Amino acid sequence: MKPDQRSFRIMLAADRYVNPPPGGLDAVAVAEQTGWGVMQLPADDYPPEVAEPLLAEVAEQLEEFSRHGYAFVLVGERAGLPEALANVGVPLPDGISPRTAAQLAEFLAARPAPRASWETGQAAG
Amino acid sequence: MGVAFVAHCLLNQNSKVGDGAHCAGVYSPVIDVLREKGWRIEQMPCPELAFTGLNRFWAVKEQLDTAAYRRHCERLAEAVAAVISVRVTKGEDVVLVGVEGSPSMGVTVTSSDPLRGGRPEWPDGTAEHVSGEGIFVEEIHKALAKRGIGFPRVAGETHALAGHDEAAQRAGLESALEG
Repeated sequence: MKPDQRSFRIMLAADRYVNPPPGGLDAVAVAEQTGWGVMQLPADDYPPEVAEPLLAEVAEQLEEFSRHGYAFVLVGERAGLPEALANVGVPLPDGISPRTAAQLAEFLAARPAPRASWETGQAAG
Repeated sequence: MGVAFVAHCLLNQNSKVGDGAHCAGVYSPVIDVLREKGWRIEQMPCPELAFTGLNRFWAVKEQLDTAAYRRHCERLAEAVAAVISVRVTKGEDVVLVGVEGSPSMGVTVTSSDPLRGGRPEWPDGTAEHVSGEGIFVEEIHKALAKRGIGFPRVAGETHALAGHDEAAQRAGLESALEG
């Protein structure tokens, strides 16, 4: 069996960076190239009764990653996200609204290493 | 263009059970096909991550199939079904891409062993894969039925299955996308 290859790095990405409009920036492609995982945020045009439960689930899952020392960043913005994260006691991560893939890749490369790793045990938090 | 509702781990392998991440983050063999074919991506929540945590053991369906886990999956499934409903109302084609062999995310193959429990020791190669859906997929089925929405076509990532073949996995996904 191959060893677990996770990166312990997660990008919270606004929908327009996951499903970019023509000419838009594809953050998933940058995540593939740089080894980051992606957590997608709900599309901006979803009604609140659809988006809010999804944001609550994103926050709950991010809380688990946070407790274990995974690194995460925010790419773009999503209304309601700061409140959803506050509800689980997780601060809004550092973020960027990049215009180019190079800008995003540079931002990701400059992030500190996650506290979690297989060497430290992923329960580093 | 259609909308592919994908298992959380296909965009984020960090959510996998320990020793289960096949790559650093994005599982390209599935995501790249969706991109090539012009499908919109909707990531579903990982039902096991928040409930059983990052340090969870590998498990079969019977171990996860508790009333509390069913309620958790039902809550998540309602959130997913609401998004599917939005998409179906717009007349968009929908597929669901799961993880074959998963006790939660299997779409045609799940894992089963009614005797498994207690101290986690069992021989490698124990037969556990059986036809059927995982618990979360079953709950999505129910949530869509309540809304009067038919269950979408499905495809699955097949890494956990014996004889996994990436070309066959791709062919299965393309077949589901083409309808």
